[in-house]
Amino acid sequence: MKKHLREIAVAGALVLLLLVLAFAAPAFFKPQQLISVLTAAAPVLLAACGVALVIIARQIDISIGSLFAWCSVLAGLAAARGWPMPLVALVAIVAGAFLGAINGGLIAGLGLPSIVVTLATMVTWREAMRWWREGEFVRDLPTTFQWFGMSQTGGQWLLLIIAALVFLVLVFALKHLAGGRFVYAVGSDAEAARLAGISPRIVTFLLFVLMGALTGLGALLGAIRFADVDPKTGEGLELQAIAAAVVGGVAISGGRGKLWGVLAGVMLLACIAPALVFLHIQPQWERAIQGAIILAAVAADRWSGGK
Amino acid sequence: MTTTETSTSQPGSKETDKKRVPAFLRQFSTILLLVIAIEITIFSNTASHFNTTGNFLEIIRLSVEVGLLALVMTPVILTGGIDLSVGSLLGLCAILFGKLWRDGHLPVWLAAICTLLIGATGGGLNALLVTRLRLPPLIVTLGSFSLFRGLAEAVTRGVDNFTGFPDSFLFLGQGYFLGTIPAQLPVFALVAVGVWLLVHRTVYGRAFRAIGFSPEGARFAGIPVERRLALAYILTGSVCGLASLIYVAHVGQAKADAGTGYELLAITAVVLGGASIFGGVGDVHGTLLGLAVLAILRNGLILSDLPAELAGILTGVLLLAVLVGEAVLKKLFVHRSRRLNTQVAPLNPLNPPA
Amino acid sequence: MKRTLFFASLLATVLLTGCPKGKVSDTVSGDGGGSLTIALMPKSKGNAYFIACHKGAEEAGKQIGAKLLWGGPTEPDPAKQNEIVETWITRGVDVIAAAVENKEGISTALRKARKKGIKVVTWDSDAEPDARDFLVNQATPEGIGSTLMDEAAKVLGNKGEYAIITASLTAANMNEWQKNIAARNAEKYPDLKMVALRPCDDLKDKAFSETTAILNANPNVKLIMAICSPAVPGAAEAVKQSGRTDVKVVGLGLPNENKRYVHEGITPAVILWNTADLGYTTVLAAAAVAKGELKPGVTTFKAGRLGDLEVKGDNIILGKPFVFTKDNIDQFDF
Repeated sequence: MKKHLREIAVAGALVLLLLVLAFAAPAFFKPQQLISVLTAAAPVLLAACGVALVIIARQIDISIGSLFAWCSVLAGLAAARGWPMPLVALVAIVAGAFLGAINGGLIAGLGLPSIVVTLATMVTWREAMRWWREGEFVRDLPTTFQWFGMSQTGGQWLLLIIAALVFLVLVFALKHLAGGRFVYAVGSDAEAARLAGISPRIVTFLLFVLMGALTGLGALLGAIRFADVDPKTGEGLELQAIAAAVVGGVAISGGRGKLWGVLAGVMLLACIAPALVFLHIQPQWERAIQGAIILAAVAADRWSGGK
Repeated sequence: MTTTETSTSQPGSKETDKKRVPAFLRQFSTILLLVIAIEITIFSNTASHFNTTGNFLEIIRLSVEVGLLALVMTPVILTGGIDLSVGSLLGLCAILFGKLWRDGHLPVWLAAICTLLIGATGGGLNALLVTRLRLPPLIVTLGSFSLFRGLAEAVTRGVDNFTGFPDSFLFLGQGYFLGTIPAQLPVFALVAVGVWLLVHRTVYGRAFRAIGFSPEGARFAGIPVERRLALAYILTGSVCGLASLIYVAHVGQAKADAGTGYELLAITAVVLGGASIFGGVGDVHGTLLGLAVLAILRNGLILSDLPAELAGILTGVLLLAVLVGEAVLKKLFVHRSRRLNTQVAPLNPLNPPA
Repeated sequence: MKRTLFFASLLATVLLTGCPKGKVSDTVSGDGGGSLTIALMPKSKGNAYFIACHKGAEEAGKQIGAKLLWGGPTEPDPAKQNEIVETWITRGVDVIAAAVENKEGISTALRKARKKGIKVVTWDSDAEPDARDFLVNQATPEGIGSTLMDEAAKVLGNKGEYAIITASLTAANMNEWQKNIAARNAEKYPDLKMVALRPCDDLKDKAFSETTAILNANPNVKLIMAICSPAVPGAAEAVKQSGRTDVKVVGLGLPNENKRYVHEGITPAVILWNTADLGYTTVLAAAAVAKGELKPGVTTFKAGRLGDLEVKGDNIILGKPFVFTKDNIDQFDF
């Protein structure tokens, strides 16, 4: 029980918020609203899981948002060219993996500090996208794009199922596969891991590639909710994902964190904006509340005796 | 000239040490000066009116706000920390300054002093969480980054903006002494000199470096780690307040979104200047050079009629190029480190690297 | 010692290579030879709205043989427009035409430009009147606010609830428009109530989620007024996915992004103006001001292929806001 204290605490905060909503604004629980919140949160969940893994391995990635935008736009362009959806999905994932590999190569290969490398790639990719598209949407997508060509409800369920499956696979892999153990090992003490025969460089590199691929998948799931792609999509995603991971118990110092906590964190933060609408609270409090939650979560961590 | 086989050198061998450390340090600032020289050469040919005293003064003038943040970020990064909240704190200080002056009816100078104190308080919040609760600075300042900006938006309801400041105040941001020297230049110079002295000539600066190199080691060496860290963050906060004053004087208005994105520019300048993000390595003149590289780049691109996006792209590429170059140089001149992402510490003859 | 020598020689090299050379770039203000340099600034780059303005501007630039600079901030900080203007002052341009993001802030820089002899016009949104010579006004904030409110009233009848989606709480032009919408609301439609105002940070996806939440939280809302361009298709998509056929969307947006929803009946009215014409007129007006042909006191301005435009005081009026409906939206491609 103590081991899962953090995840339970965050889940508890989420439940509290939901209770408040149940009393003050039960309309929040209309199936349509819930599905809207869940489908919007699914891409964030995937990105947050990816960044959580990276943080557990004692790195960080703040280029997620720009990466997300590139994957979305490239997927949209592929679809506009008439490529079949499976191929479009592949484009999104491979593009993400490729960009992630750039980060990974610089960080793991050359030993450069991850925060600065991803700062540089974030700015470069974002400005390049702005220059290229000038804000123009990717339009005229075939009907097979939105909701994978299915009905809205069908597509929404498919989206959630895909996200859930990937999430569960990640949870399983992290816990039961050797590779999962390697992530924690590298994050706790890279030198010890190396002496134990694990290559921190390879693990780190692969983590960035995986993160890129997950974000690419998230970008795809985010994009198929609509009939056109906004090149500005994903702005602020790095903040959301990292905040969710941290609130969910992933320690910035590495070596600790559980994906269930990340799920709780993502859901908690995803509910804030709609909750403000339902509770008729002025929108300008959203950012202040987010900041307060992050600080409270991390401070509470300290009080409960965590590292 | 220098050998790569440092393991054959004797500990305490002065000659190899002198060749290693000075060569490496010398090379880094040199790279920056080289980059600046290249920028100046290129822009002299492509940009109109680039090569004039007036323009160089303008370059400095337009970078003062970010420059102040970068200067004061240097000690923070030296300690191995980081402060992502400086841009948001600038915005919060700006609107509180406006509010104190317009709605609180305080005279401008009094509102200004209060703003400096508010900045210090903001920095104090960061300091408290970092030192008392021992939370990682990255996360603390990520939270305060949202919190400060959020408070600024909440106070102004996003909408309010403050203008109409008296000319005597606006002179700080828009005026020129003797017709050529921008008014904020002496302020910037003072702060630059002050921070340089703090970091390079006082015990505090030594403490920052020691803490960045090894917090536990610093503690055992008798350094009051918490007090020094608090100093770094509180100083950062007050200078945010100062920067916000110059910003408001320069632009002539105070809005909640002032300073958005400045933290990343400041960090870029510091890292470009050769500081290690892990702490322990870095200097103020490096930061100034890093600032110069960025400011000249932006200015030159605009004067060459090139798009602003290019500035962002080139900044990112430059940052990577510098980092890669630095890593490559380290490998050539210092014993190869096998630890992932461990910075190579300033060499101590008593402790040869592992 | 070696180090100092090294630095000193490097510094000398820097200074020598930086020797003032004759500038290679062609135009400078006042140089005979007739080619003007017009510096055009959108509110920010990376905004699709300005792509069409840019095209129109380039057309005019080619027509009169002027050199056109197109520069704007990519960062959200309000001081960034100032930085570009101040650098242009150093560069030396004949006239600056700015779409203003921050009225008071940029007026500081524009006044400085005027003092140095650079002419200033504004377009799309105005600076302070003493900071510029003329405003190319495609529609006044009053016009925009009133048209939005009137179209909303057409949909709602004269009684009902609506919500507004804006870009950000700090955007100056959004706030201007909201003020005018509210004024029109109070003046002519006392039974129409705005129950929610949410920002979407200029992101279509966020406008989508905010609209969904608003619709679910306020079942009586029958109209979404989206006043920033990504929000119009975002809100419309949200309405479509909610299945609520009784809810409509009106807004300020680009025709191409909204054609689908207009034809599907979700968005009965998209309000804008011909942005290419705006860019076109701005460049012509800027050139005319720089050459001294356009002076205060005139009542008409000949804007090339657009013919004569009305000039009211220091406002060159392009016309009223244009309403795109399913009858006319297919004629436009931007």
